[in-house]
Amino acid sequence: MAKYNIGLLLILNLLGCMQSSNKTEKKITASGRQAVLSDKDSMPAESIFHLTDSFQTQENIPFTLSMLKGKPTVVGMIFTHCTYACPRLTADIKNIADSLKGEKEKVNFLLVSFDTKRDTPDRLNKFAEENGLNKNWILLHGSEDAVRTLSVLLNVQYEKDAEGNFSHSNLVSVLDKNGVLQYQKEGLEAEHIVTISTIHKLIQQR
Amino acid sequence: MKYILTILLLTGCFDVSNAQQKKAVSFEKKMLKIPAGNYKPFFVTKSNKPIKVAAFKMDESAVTNTEFLLFVTANPEWRKSKVNRLFADSNYLRDWESDLIIGGKNINIYNSPVVHVSWFAAQAYCKWKNKRLPTVAEWELAGNAAPKNIKYTSLTEYILGWYKKPNLPVLPNIKTTYQNVYGLYDMHGLIWEWTFNFNSFISSGDSRGNTEDELKAFCAAGSINVVDKTDYAGFLRFSYRGSLKGNYCIANLGFRCAKTIE
Repeated sequence: MAKYNIGLLLILNLLGCMQSSNKTEKKITASGRQAVLSDKDSMPAESIFHLTDSFQTQENIPFTLSMLKGKPTVVGMIFTHCTYACPRLTADIKNIADSLKGEKEKVNFLLVSFDTKRDTPDRLNKFAEENGLNKNWILLHGSEDAVRTLSVLLNVQYEKDAEGNFSHSNLVSVLDKNGVLQYQKEGLEAEHIVTISTIHKLIQQR
Repeated sequence: MKYILTILLLTGCFDVSNAQQKKAVSFEKKMLKIPAGNYKPFFVTKSNKPIKVAAFKMDESAVTNTEFLLFVTANPEWRKSKVNRLFADSNYLRDWESDLIIGGKNINIYNSPVVHVSWFAAQAYCKWKNKRLPTVAEWELAGNAAPKNIKYTSLTEYILGWYKKPNLPVLPNIKTTYQNVYGLYDMHGLIWEWTFNFNSFISSGDSRGNTEDELKAFCAAGSINVVDKTDYAGFLRFSYRGSLKGNYCIANLGFRCAKTIE
């Protein structure tokens, strides 16, 4: 009887050891998950929806880029304490939205903040209210890692200065309903005729 | 009796995991502490003061092909045949024979820095190691430290001398150039290295920046200036970083990881 007990203990012990080593392995794969491709087959390889990092919306709801799927998306990267360029970039995208008139509802408007410290979901919510951005607009707060990765995917350059403000390129990007970058226009108050016609074309796409 | 045995067995279990840990540690790359410092950005705006860099840890040398092989073995989505083009262009791991075989028959690059790797791949590797890529400020602060085991007149001269040399057909091993006062190997002279925020804002011109175009293209671009106009090597590094995209895989571009000191 004692023998069996010892044998059992041995097995339990071994199981204990195995379990603990399994756990560490899982941890490692989870931390290396950067480019794990979620439902790979339904997404084109160039889709930025492959970025799996989680953001938070202005309503503090967890958000992944793949949730934009189904509608074309107009993207701008901003920070709300910016006194010069960013309100204008937001205004530019608003003008694009207005020129779409009735079709506005068929498009996502996305603003992602560089300012991971100060642009909390609450702050973004206020910014949306102040700028009259309705429910079609998604304003995202994310980790430094997630925001930097998105900026690399969209070719947006940005840099934080010692005061916590940002120098950045002003780029309006248009994604199709599958998250593939279709058009980009750089500069403030740029001529957005092609941007708008691209969006119209993408709305028609099935 | 039973209890004693249980205790013995439990100790056995701990011993095993300890041994495993020790083994794992011996595979780990040595990281060195880089003390806090001030980094003067190469391009500054009027409001842009020197950036305070907190003390951090950095890999003593660049990540090698062998080390990267362990990563792709554990993370199949980063193998040559499987990687997404969005995250790595078609030159990804170009020197490797196949998914899990490093070099061709005649070249030994096992202990050379892994190159032809994208920013996304470098990011994923460092995350997998529970580390991160160094920021530009961290990398420059670490890289500007004086060499300690070579004769040189100035670091700029040394670097420019390296830039002038054509690429060797086979990339030398790590730890073959020089070691700096922090103990870091090959910060210059072997490869260029990815940084976390390589896509930092950079002006397209040297620019008093009064043109409408530039003001419109960049926030705060109007007052961009270069700190040290004699730092030509620094200028080249910044231009080079500015020309990169995240999925580029290039012959002499590799990386090393950093870690925040908690």
